[in-house]
Amino acid sequence: MADVTVRPDGAGSGPGTDTEPVDGRLIGVDHVDKVFSTRAGDVHAVRDVSLSVRRGETLGLVGESGSGKSTMARLMMGLMAPTDGTVTFDGVDLSTVRHGDMRRLRAQMQMVFQNPYGSLLPHYSVSANVAEPLRLHKRGDKRSRRQRAIELLTMVGVNPRFADHYPRQFSGGQQQRVAIARALALEPKLLMCDEPTSSLDVSIQAQVLALLDELRAGLGLTLVFISHNLAVVERFADRVAVMCLGQVVEIAPTEILFDSPRHPYTQQLLAAVLPVSKDPLPAPATPWQPEAGDLPLREVAPGHYVRDCTT
Amino acid sequence: MSSASSLEVEDLRTEFVLRDRVLRVVDDVSFTVEPGQALAIVGESGSGKSVAMRSVMRLLPKTGRVAGGQARLGGTDLLGLSERQMRKVRGRDIGMVFQNAMEALNPTLTLERQLTEHLLWHGICDRAEAKRRAVETLGDVGIPEPEKRIRTYPFQLSGGMRQRAMIAMAMVTQPSVLIADEPTTAVDVTVQRQLLDLLARLKARGTGVIMITHDLGVARYFCDDAIVMYAGRVVEHSPIRPLLAHPAHPYTSGLFSSTLEVGARQRALRPIPGSPPDLAHRPPGCAFHPRCDRAEERCGQEDQPLLPWSGNGSDLVPGTVAETGRPTDERTDDRADERTGRREVACWKAVQHG
Repeated sequence: MADVTVRPDGAGSGPGTDTEPVDGRLIGVDHVDKVFSTRAGDVHAVRDVSLSVRRGETLGLVGESGSGKSTMARLMMGLMAPTDGTVTFDGVDLSTVRHGDMRRLRAQMQMVFQNPYGSLLPHYSVSANVAEPLRLHKRGDKRSRRQRAIELLTMVGVNPRFADHYPRQFSGGQQQRVAIARALALEPKLLMCDEPTSSLDVSIQAQVLALLDELRAGLGLTLVFISHNLAVVERFADRVAVMCLGQVVEIAPTEILFDSPRHPYTQQLLAAVLPVSKDPLPAPATPWQPEAGDLPLREVAPGHYVRDCTT
Repeated sequence: MSSASSLEVEDLRTEFVLRDRVLRVVDDVSFTVEPGQALAIVGESGSGKSVAMRSVMRLLPKTGRVAGGQARLGGTDLLGLSERQMRKVRGRDIGMVFQNAMEALNPTLTLERQLTEHLLWHGICDRAEAKRRAVETLGDVGIPEPEKRIRTYPFQLSGGMRQRAMIAMAMVTQPSVLIADEPTTAVDVTVQRQLLDLLARLKARGTGVIMITHDLGVARYFCDDAIVMYAGRVVEHSPIRPLLAHPAHPYTSGLFSSTLEVGARQRALRPIPGSPPDLAHRPPGCAFHPRCDRAEERCGQEDQPLLPWSGNGSDLVPGTVAETGRPTDERTDDRADERTGRREVACWKAVQHG
């Protein structure tokens, strides 16, 4: 296990958990490990990750495929149990929650996925899709649920005239709006967005981001925004955590991370971006090689944590 | 092997024949790719960019047909060849790279079988020489231990490695033209840059590259020219840098202001309203007019032909070159391009007002 930065308030420990008082965090991840055992051997998908998501903030999670971003999402949503460490939601340790209570807790955390068509029920109309969480959580009766679904569809910019159409009759951008409406049906505190705009065309991606931006401000949502698109995360997140091979290598307020990245991996990632209106940064002469072992995460400036590296 | 011919596509028209109607998916598309040059085809899904390429390769589905135009490769019109003759062109004179290598490679064959297939099938060399070249190309694309890796199956490689293997497969015959359909969309940014640098080596050896992409950053980094497609038609044709510095067509500038860019937090995100048209209900006149904030009555009435556009070099569009602080010398480069490179736009307002 990595070294432990004792928090000034003494309330807990762990690199990256920052100085936020415990009741300011909606999600707390403390020294979490996740190992998948396969026939070919163990895969260490997440290693000793500690971070917190504050109420009302948007935390961006970036990293390449296989870096453990989606596993982190599933751990934070309580969809899988960590091999080691604890995940808390709203102060509750998810590993102690019983099955029935977990369902109640899930109403407060909802998810938007990359592929909207794959995540909607194809044989339900879009209004029934949006009403489905309400039905599962026994909210209201059939008529009021439909009414609520129509309100939600209107809120996300889907014409309620099409409420009885099926998902396949909509474009990808409209499908994603429906998926967002469904995620908001239970008035969650947390919206977990796993690559919500990656499968959409550029002009539609911008529309969906503008919608999410409006909703999070209007509804006071806390967002975890997972993406491999650094430009989207820069625009959208308040703080960003960079993951590489299951570890968080750097975590900082967005502006600081993009303006003065400290970890070589973050620098390498930013250098690989191909800008539209200027020339790209020069690629590093020697790419950073991920290092084995558990090097500690240190606070280099207030709220800016960087994992040690030997190179 | 004709390794220095240009591909000239002229007035290409492709239709899909449905039960009750005919959809024109590619409408009067023209472009030229010179040896060693790269052309970006930019557009959103459904704009006809992939169908245009499949028309050139003669790989349309059964319902599709080329209804007009020419596609000349070194003087031969590909659209007039028999299927038998066309097979000799594919893989040897024109290579293709797709977005998803897992789907494009054959999962049941080793890389050796797939990489030597072109060479053997086209009778370019014997088996031993083919294997030697295949190993060499795998090494060229940055796959470590190519002698060993050539015996593996696609599923045993990571996504980035598979994409490299597919590029190797297209490169092994040193084609005159390479068509790359979103070759880096499915890979991570660091791998993306490596793959583009790899394709640049091929370009340097004289291969003309057509890159289908919706990523303007990729287009800027890799390509020399671009055509922007909307609803099956070319709406703008230009050298890439002037295009991004001063987009002339409202759709191009809409794409530009919808694109998020690292380090440009201040630039306002202005999405294009609405969604691309369904080709069965193509809006009359300029197909973009229902989404265009500059549209006037005339836009919905008259078809907009591609017309030369000279623009106004001093009239910098906010949020582009002037504000991004690009070094001055480079800005002059763009201007120079603008004077020499031919630009065309299909919008009467842009033509009239510069």
